[in-house]
Amino acid sequence: MRRGARSGVVVLAAVLVGLAAGSCGNGVIDKSTDGVPPAEATGTLRVLIPSFPASNKGREEFDKVVADFKKTYPKMKVEPDFATYGNLNEKISTSIAAGIPYDVMVTGVGWVQTFASKRLFADLGPYGVTPEVIRDKSIGAMVPAAMYEDKLYAYPIVADARAVALRASAFKEAGLDPDKPPKSMAELKVAAEKLTKRDANGTITRTGFDLAAPLSFRQTYTTLLASTGTPLYLDGQPNYSNAKGVETLEWIKSMINNVQVYGQRNAAQQPLVYTGEAAMGITGGAVDCSDKGIGQANCDDLRFFRFDSGKEVQFVGGDLASIGSRARHKDAAWAFIQSLIKPSSVDAIAKLNKKIPAYKDAADSPQAKSNPLSKFVASGLELAIYEGGSANWLEMRGNFDTQLTQAVLGQKDPAKTLANLSGQSR
Amino acid sequence: MSATLERPTPAVAAPRRVAPSKDSRKLIRSQVRAGWLLLAPALLHSGIFLVIPIIFAVALSFTDYSFGDSWSWVGFENYTVLFGDANFRAAFVNTVMYAVVVIPISMAVSLAIAIGLNQKIRGLGFFRTAFYVPTVTATVAIATIWLWIYNPGSGLANGFLSLFGFAPNQWLSDPGTALPSLMVVGIWQGLGTKIIIYLAALQGVSRDLLESSALDGANRWQRFVNVTWPALGPVQFFVLVTSIVGTFQVFDLVYVMTDGGPGTETMVLVLDIYQNAFQDLRLGFASAETVILMLLIAVFIGLGRLLQKADVND
Repeated sequence: MRRGARSGVVVLAAVLVGLAAGSCGNGVIDKSTDGVPPAEATGTLRVLIPSFPASNKGREEFDKVVADFKKTYPKMKVEPDFATYGNLNEKISTSIAAGIPYDVMVTGVGWVQTFASKRLFADLGPYGVTPEVIRDKSIGAMVPAAMYEDKLYAYPIVADARAVALRASAFKEAGLDPDKPPKSMAELKVAAEKLTKRDANGTITRTGFDLAAPLSFRQTYTTLLASTGTPLYLDGQPNYSNAKGVETLEWIKSMINNVQVYGQRNAAQQPLVYTGEAAMGITGGAVDCSDKGIGQANCDDLRFFRFDSGKEVQFVGGDLASIGSRARHKDAAWAFIQSLIKPSSVDAIAKLNKKIPAYKDAADSPQAKSNPLSKFVASGLELAIYEGGSANWLEMRGNFDTQLTQAVLGQKDPAKTLANLSGQSR
Repeated sequence: MSATLERPTPAVAAPRRVAPSKDSRKLIRSQVRAGWLLLAPALLHSGIFLVIPIIFAVALSFTDYSFGDSWSWVGFENYTVLFGDANFRAAFVNTVMYAVVVIPISMAVSLAIAIGLNQKIRGLGFFRTAFYVPTVTATVAIATIWLWIYNPGSGLANGFLSLFGFAPNQWLSDPGTALPSLMVVGIWQGLGTKIIIYLAALQGVSRDLLESSALDGANRWQRFVNVTWPALGPVQFFVLVTSIVGTFQVFDLVYVMTDGGPGTETMVLVLDIYQNAFQDLRLGFASAETVILMLLIAVFIGLGRLLQKADVND
């Protein structure tokens, strides 16, 4: 190689190494403010939060939380990252890879144990948050979802509950009593088959039971399994590769393309029972009965109940706030979380996201009083069951979905599928 | 009796090595410097955005890194697990299937349309623009439109087929039609770029040769096979390579339209890599999959080169 070429390569290599070294540095990270009096602390608090939607109203409500936080930390800046649950993991993982961790991370129920096991979340014990505090001030049933190895890593903000609804008119038309809803899997199947309508070609024109799982059966399976008295995980060990687990999966399989076409969803991606496209089905945690929503007549036709194949349960997810273990402003992060969990903030988040405030007596909250479905799910928060239970749940839940779908579509044997998934759990 | 006339071979003197003068050496050095200077931005870009990530990806593929605060070297374990992984196998097969179907069909259709657009027809500008529009439209927007077209209840596809008495199809949720449905979108979306490239190449085909062959009595098909097709050789290779890279890296279309489902029916390698890395947080495992994808693309490009050489030799 000529001398010019050699020197060019050397210069280029030096620039590349310099850039690589520079990118590995922590130049953009603040000095820690922990131990500094709040009034004197300066820096930027990085907040990852999917709880405020990307709307003017969402930003306005977030600014109120920031204003409250600034009463304690007047010189700190707050840098929000309004993620969605779809890109939450990308945000967290890329922030770690970039060496710029978030100080406050709001995640869902399935996240906490996985991130706690990876030591990405800080123990909230030093801030006086214990399971007793959560039981006393928040939703006790959410404590297990926030704990890992006997330590608490997250504080519940709002609960995202699911119920089951039926159309009274459809029940009456089919000769069923809407005041005595079918709650067990066996009863549900019988009723759903009666309620399913078909055209002359046998094509389903009204779904008998909407499993609310066009592409994912994971949460429905978790709820139905728990309703038999079988939690998905027991003491951190998988509890679904058994007779109840197989029976539940077989039940879902027997419903698909029998009372509901696989993959069915409407353009608004709303529960089909709201619009009468299904006679029964799984719902979210709120319904808009105004003319902008489904209308009062539709609302009046709905009756709500919970799955009960031996144990009455209600699926609950939710938003939980944690402090990043690599945060540079842990004290400020806790102050921010305190602003976030004030009833006024929680009520606003609940309204924006159609979820239930995760404070004591949520049944009396403005959101619960705003519509009959929220009132119903708020009254059942102590019956909450949630998905997850193992340290690697976040890693395997995608595969859980895929394999359940393959079993439901008859591509895999349900028993072998569950045994395989059970083997992947750690 | 015949005599062969032979052209006398001129005596060629061995080239004498002449040492460059001082001025010419200076000129060469300055040209070399200018060359490196001009190359520097591209090399810098490639170094930062290609070489470093590739080195990191290969290194990560031998670790169990999962964004936690500890990791360890695991040797070839990720690769061993990968080949036993059902999702990877499905993604591998689907990606190859997608490429094998989409590449030749889209190349053939593009060439046919380009030949059409190379004629003197009315509204040429409109057709050229119309065929190029999908290329400059965001894939997410295209996917959203096709989601509506494939909507089982109110979509255009079922609406059109119902005119002929066909029952509605669950295009994207039926395991039998999900991947072919995506292939149709992939073929349609990729036409614009290929058409433009083919069109440019067709306009570069020698008019003299075409006229000569016409004068020799060659018909249209013969002119295409013997003049146009050989002249398109280098462009065919370019289109083939870019198509291989593009189809093996298909992601956004699948992500928006099916997310790999139902089951793993439309799972493709890049989506599986993305899910392993950013949904399941298994970066070491995903890096091993990335290395496999790089090798797979290299193999297919190598096959393309071999085919190209064979075509030239023929």
